[in-house]
Amino acid sequence: MTKTAPVTDSVKKVNNEFAVGDDLEFQKSWQKFERGVWILLTIFILLSLAGVFGRGPLAQGHIQASDGSLRVDYERVQRFGTPSVLTIHFPPDVIHQGTVQLWASDTLVKPLGTQRVVPQPMKSVIGGGGILYSFPATTVPASIEFQTQPAALGFSDLIVRVPGKAEVKTRIFVVP
Amino acid sequence: MAAVLRAILGYYFLVFMMRIVGRRPGKQITPVEFILVFFSGGLILTCTVADDQSLTNALSQIVAIALAHYLLVLLRWKFPWLSKIVDGTPAVLLEKGKWHSDNMAAMQIMDDDVMAVARDQGLERLDQVEYAVLERNGQISVVPVE
Repeated sequence: MTKTAPVTDSVKKVNNEFAVGDDLEFQKSWQKFERGVWILLTIFILLSLAGVFGRGPLAQGHIQASDGSLRVDYERVQRFGTPSVLTIHFPPDVIHQGTVQLWASDTLVKPLGTQRVVPQPMKSVIGGGGILYSFPATTVPASIEFQTQPAALGFSDLIVRVPGKAEVKTRIFVVP
Repeated sequence: MAAVLRAILGYYFLVFMMRIVGRRPGKQITPVEFILVFFSGGLILTCTVADDQSLTNALSQIVAIALAHYLLVLLRWKFPWLSKIVDGTPAVLLEKGKWHSDNMAAMQIMDDDVMAVARDQGLERLDQVEYAVLERNGQISVVPVE
């Protein structure tokens, strides 16, 4: 047998005659909440435009080795699965016999997801928690571009150096 | 795993955003609002699917969204306060010849929107409307003067 229940007149009425079921108090609270959310959404968009979540002016990072042996242009904040470029510039004095060497921590390959290195290294040797690259360099200033696509979220510590010179240490944050 | 979570998050995020953007009476949805709906859907699709275009991923995400929706509907039915949050409450727009301007402004509804629904019911003037209510589903109900 079907379960039944008596109909009760539970819906709130307007002017004691028209059952609407509105809730003025809730509506006012919700409108206040909506205004708060719009403010937060506006702040979010402004931060996003500024690059707090990557791909904007605030996300751009520039760092130089203390002895001037290299300079790195990169994005401090990167987005998961989204291409990014890390460029390393070398001054003339680190180029020897048409070659420049660079040691980079393996975080550049794994969490930060290096897809391509331009120019292609002549040689790359793995070891010591990183990779030692040798690049052809005939003109100055010389620069190398690592095209990355982060494959892990959160912070990744990146270390790069020209062998025998001061290292550059930085931290990159990958957002979802 | 991540794809399923992205789908669920995307679903609830869109539910939240559509609730915040506000209710528009269904019959008066303009082309601009269609753009909002379809563009938002398309944008969320790119990040939920990402690089996994397999049938398994599509089936998993559809099931995940269906479950997320079922859960929302079930909780909405069980808890009236959640129903108010998800769907809102009816709002009186016109009462015995007086506009409820605060409700009209909050819902971004113009008198023309109410008159359009009144015309649908064969009414010719706003003074023939006793009550106009914006329902939870976004439709406007009009009660004619007796």
